[in-house]
Amino acid sequence: MAEEPTITASTRDTTGSRGSRLLGVATLVGLAVLGVLAFVLTDPDVRIHPSTGDEFGQFDAVRMLYVHVPLAAMTYLAYGLCAVASLGVLIRRTPWWDVTAHAAAEVGTVFCGLVLVTGSIWGRPVWNTWWEWGDVRLMTTLVLFLMFAGYLALRRTTGDPRTVSRRAAVVALIAVLDLPLVNRSVEWWENRTLHQQSTLGELKIEDLTLFTLMLGFLVLGMVLAWLLLHRFRVGWLERAALDHSVAAAIAERRGETPDEELRRAVGDSPAAREGFDENDRDGDPEAGRP
Amino acid sequence: MPDPGDETVPEGDRIDDLTPAPIRPESASGRYRPGAVVLVVVLVVAVVAVLFRSLGDAALFFYEVDRAVELRSELDDARFRVVGTPQPGLLEIEVDGEAAVAFTLCAGDVLADVVHLGDPAELFQPGVPVVLQGSWVPGPVPAGLVAAAADGWHLRTDHMVVKHDNDYRGEGAEMEACGVLPDGAAAASG
Repeated sequence: MAEEPTITASTRDTTGSRGSRLLGVATLVGLAVLGVLAFVLTDPDVRIHPSTGDEFGQFDAVRMLYVHVPLAAMTYLAYGLCAVASLGVLIRRTPWWDVTAHAAAEVGTVFCGLVLVTGSIWGRPVWNTWWEWGDVRLMTTLVLFLMFAGYLALRRTTGDPRTVSRRAAVVALIAVLDLPLVNRSVEWWENRTLHQQSTLGELKIEDLTLFTLMLGFLVLGMVLAWLLLHRFRVGWLERAALDHSVAAAIAERRGETPDEELRRAVGDSPAAREGFDENDRDGDPEAGRP
Repeated sequence: MPDPGDETVPEGDRIDDLTPAPIRPESASGRYRPGAVVLVVVLVVAVVAVLFRSLGDAALFFYEVDRAVELRSELDDARFRVVGTPQPGLLEIEVDGEAAVAFTLCAGDVLADVVHLGDPAELFQPGVPVVLQGSWVPGPVPAGLVAAAADGWHLRTDHMVVKHDNDYRGEGAEMEACGVLPDGAAAASG
């Protein structure tokens, strides 16, 4: 029986790179600046009612706006990317699209969960309720979250990876149909939602409030990019490790394969290492990009 | 051991044949992890439950005050949601031993008196729209409201949420005129 091989999935021991570390540092700085602006320097939402002369508004609860709205926008972006990548899975059938779709769905679901949580925290003082059943904006967002949670559950099922990928892609393309409903619900069903209409569309925001909101979009966009990058690399390494396991299992099954041949099959031979830089499918995700 | 040259041996069993054999279809039970299948089922049930509850509730959501007044006879004692702008004046009263507040809602020129059981919302104030849930009840509200409808009916409600606008400008807030609340002119509040 052949000696059990030692399998190395990749020469890298981290998903970080110089670019991603730079992005991470910039993101941390951005988050700190956003925190100071949102929770210290901007004014609370206090307005004078034109009829009663009384103060009204959202007061300090408005500070959640600077996180909640950008999180929602980044959720749209992540799920939109997942939909595009899922189309790529069905049309091009390459691992690059599949890993991209999976990473976007996973990060998007984290963001979508945070949208629901931050919205709920904002709603308690402003609306007087943590949650309102029947509100179309809230319900369509919850359905979106649940559908992508189902997508992620589907991705964890065993079986032929290609079949799982294609099924997941179809689920993603169905789930993403909810995105326009979420976004337009406050306009289409105005009398069925507590949620206010778009503020940016009519530009009912100005000065430091507007600047901080825009900074929120930029910083949360950087958070999204950083998370996507690392999740993609983790997914790519997982796939490489799986491929190596399959190659090793085949070699072991055949039983009589010389060590050097086995090492070549799993990409661990000196010859394979020499070619690693030129055609680094395991270490460089871009190599598999269509 | 089968003879490599034996033509009667099935192709896949010949020892010199390294062509990958076709994968046998696995049974459904062996193909999926039970935990993942349970999770998918739970999520599907959750989505259906959410949609069911949402659609059922959506039918209640929500009448403008003028429409609720117009449909009063049809609504009878049914529970529904209504949106309107509170008028200045808030009376603290007691209904069947329970603390309540009375005030008047408006939409355009139409007024409706309200008896709300429990405390009003934290950000409740005249001129800021609220959504209430309850039903029509015959009978007037106690005297003392600044702009009462006084039409022999009132809304008995027990759920109040504040409906906020999308304006974040410090000045120039646009609020619609309603009832005794003029558009833009300062008025005394309750």
